[in-house]
Amino acid sequence: MNSITPQYEDYADALEMIDDEDMRFEYIIDMGKKVKDEDFPEALRIDANLMHGCMSRVWLCDEVRDGKHYFSGFSDAIIVKGLAAMMAGSFSGLTTDELQELTTDHVRRLNLGALTTQRQVGMMAMLETFKKFGMSGGGTLAQLRSGSA
Amino acid sequence: MNKVVPIDIQVASNSMDAFDIESVRKDFPILKQDIYGKSLVFLDSGASAQKPQVVIDAVRECYETYYSNVHRGAYFLSQKCTDVYEQVRGQIATFINAPSENNVIITSGVTESINLVAQTWGRKFLKKGDEIIVSEVEHHANIVPWQLLQDEIGFDIKVAKIDDQGEFLLDTFKALLSPKTKLVAITDCSNVLGTMFPVKEITRLAHEVGAKVLVDGAQGIVHKGADVQDLDCDFYGFTGHKIYGPTGVGILYGKMDVLKSMPPYQGGGDMIEKVSFAGTTFQEPPYRFEAGTPPIAQVIGLGAAIKYVSDLGMENISAHEQGLLAYANELLSAIEGVQIIGQAKDKAAIISFLIEGTHPFDVAAVLDRQGVATRVGQHCAEPLMDRLGIVGTVRASFGLYNNKDDVDRLAAAIGRAKELLL
Ligand SMILES: Cc1ncc(COP(=O)(O)O)c(C=O)c1O
Repeated sequence: MNSITPQYEDYADALEMIDDEDMRFEYIIDMGKKVKDEDFPEALRIDANLMHGCMSRVWLCDEVRDGKHYFSGFSDAIIVKGLAAMMAGSFSGLTTDELQELTTDHVRRLNLGALTTQRQVGMMAMLETFKKFGMSGGGTLAQLRSGSA
Repeated sequence: MNKVVPIDIQVASNSMDAFDIESVRKDFPILKQDIYGKSLVFLDSGASAQKPQVVIDAVRECYETYYSNVHRGAYFLSQKCTDVYEQVRGQIATFINAPSENNVIITSGVTESINLVAQTWGRKFLKKGDEIIVSEVEHHANIVPWQLLQDEIGFDIKVAKIDDQGEFLLDTFKALLSPKTKLVAITDCSNVLGTMFPVKEITRLAHEVGAKVLVDGAQGIVHKGADVQDLDCDFYGFTGHKIYGPTGVGILYGKMDVLKSMPPYQGGGDMIEKVSFAGTTFQEPPYRFEAGTPPIAQVIGLGAAIKYVSDLGMENISAHEQGLLAYANELLSAIEGVQIIGQAKDKAAIISFLIEGTHPFDVAAVLDRQGVATRVGQHCAEPLMDRLGIVGTVRASFGLYNNKDDVDRLAAAIGRAKELLL
């Protein structure tokens, strides 16, 4: 599997080095705690950026600079916030074409075994959203849903 | 937040001794396992209860030794299977004190029991301009079937209220009653708050205006049993899997005159008297409402579950659970930042809670890592969450097999959640 982004490699390596499931779980909690409110301002936490079908609220954004996508994610729950931040960080800086090459294996390699299936499904859904953002050149989630982005 | 005074813990633990919880726990093979290297603490019986060995054995024995279709075979096995199956109907009638086994309809669960009433009684007797009353704590299973019918018929749905403690407001309920009220569909125990509803009084008041009463007994029967004649309700529904029986089976009790007035529910085999293309006639209740092959082994498993709880004694189960509830209230309300949602005086052993400054999903995830299984979210009661102004709760619901150690583990896991999340 090709290397994706330096950030992605960092996460994958860090999680691989932790050999205890509980510690890996706590690592994700710490990731969530590191995301500060100002990293994802209130103004972005609007329905238009809200992912549907999640147990807690998850917002995702895509900013396109120089043909590359920069994602950010936020949630009202710490664990999901940590996951969203890791997913956004891992796959930011990629071009539309590079995004399309991502597969669920890339998410699996992050080694987040300490998560319940439901959350793993949520991460796959985030990945799909990133890829859709890529195809539509950014915009809000609401625009993606309505097909106008 | 109110500090809960431990109500007579002494009495509670005495009755716990009489009940011999440690021997009861041995009846449940699933409880013996470890989760993430920690012994399992199962606190999600409100969603579905674990099964004692006698239930597992009854289902297996049925399949291994006498399984066959019921009500139709002219051979030994079918006769035996039919006998065992039909005995359960009588056993359930005794358990809920129904006048006869003919008042007991077998369904796939309380959800179907309620839909059955909506689609037969409701469709026949509810008219435009009528009113029905549900409460704001109802499970979606006792809201949506009425809304579906409302869309077709155009009656009104009124909502009976609770106060901030989760106590049913009888006076505001009375104010909703009028000659327009045709049905009160209400739970006897909130699956979120644990509040036991005064369904006997509710039924009496509803009958005064000529309304019928359906009780959703999914939770109540598990913790306190039910006496349908004493309640005097017209319908009482419950689900097998919450009362330590198999999934896929439930019960609808109905008063005989009401059942007789109702058209069939689904069409098919078993529910007919005579079928011809010139016209078909239907069986009397309860068979009129039971089309097709029923969940045979599940019903037999439910029979074993009902026998199991009856042998233990519903009063003993209730006393044991009340002891746990008091103990859990004491421990949890002593933890700073824990807010117990639902503080009614008469409660079943269900504790919904939040930890200040945390999201319930995070809390439940940390509890899970400690081997403590709880449920988190809206608990199929979205209108109640709106009423309380919260996104959801973590819910610890106790069953007859939980012990004080489980409560200690819950309290410790909450402490761990605070450490990790705050
Ligand atoms: C109060 C109440 N009503 C109805 C139901 C639905 O039960 P079932 O899904 O078994 O039909 C439940 C289950 O959670 C419940 O707690």
